[in-house]
Amino acid sequence: MYRDGRPVFLNLLAIHFPVGAVVSFGHRVSGVLLVLAIPLAIFLLQRSLASEQGYSEVAALVRHPGFAPVLLLLAWSLSHHLLAGIRFLLMDMELGADLAGARRMAWAAAAGAGALTLALVLAVWL
Amino acid sequence: MSGVLGGLRAWLLQRVTSVYVAVFLIYILVYLALNGDGMGYAGWRDWVGHPLMLLATALFFLALLLHAWIGLRDVVLDYVKPLALRLTVLALMALALVACGVWAGTVLLITALR
Repeated sequence: MYRDGRPVFLNLLAIHFPVGAVVSFGHRVSGVLLVLAIPLAIFLLQRSLASEQGYSEVAALVRHPGFAPVLLLLAWSLSHHLLAGIRFLLMDMELGADLAGARRMAWAAAAGAGALTLALVLAVWL
Repeated sequence: MSGVLGGLRAWLLQRVTSVYVAVFLIYILVYLALNGDGMGYAGWRDWVGHPLMLLATALFFLALLLHAWIGLRDVVLDYVKPLALRLTVLALMALALVACGVWAGTVLLITALR
């Protein structure tokens, strides 16, 4: 890319977003994914309440290996959206307003979301 | 767009609904983690079908769909600039969310009446 005859060099690997920006964007992405999961959730609720057979089918589906990618994605979306959302609420109360505190809170949200994802998936499988 | 849940009202509603949705989901997940095994169809239906639970779940879907609307609307306003396209996308989203609300309400109503 050239402008005014000078080369503009963007090394994408050298650009690092601050952790707060990544957690914030993750909150947005996970939110959109969770919206897409609403019809699935209503469908599964409907099937599980309709009959004994429907209940067994839903119980089998959520544990099915083929469903694992969806389960993993949804578990992460829920975990990240919840914890990054709590981070936003704390920021509204001006907690972690200094840079170091804000970074710690963002790291805590991201790491906590990873742990919670694992716990949710294991809770479904075990 | 400030007429359709915009500005400070949307900001506040997004936070109020987030707290209700979070508390409800945490209750559901903890309850299922503790009692999920061996609950069975009858236990599941008795739990979900309890009048208080039906009311709490109906409120949950209302809060969730309002929360989804405000969140999606913010995303669309950030990324979709041409006005005609923006309005079309917003209208389709509103329609889809209302449909989800009617669907969820019907499921809960059928459960309540059985």
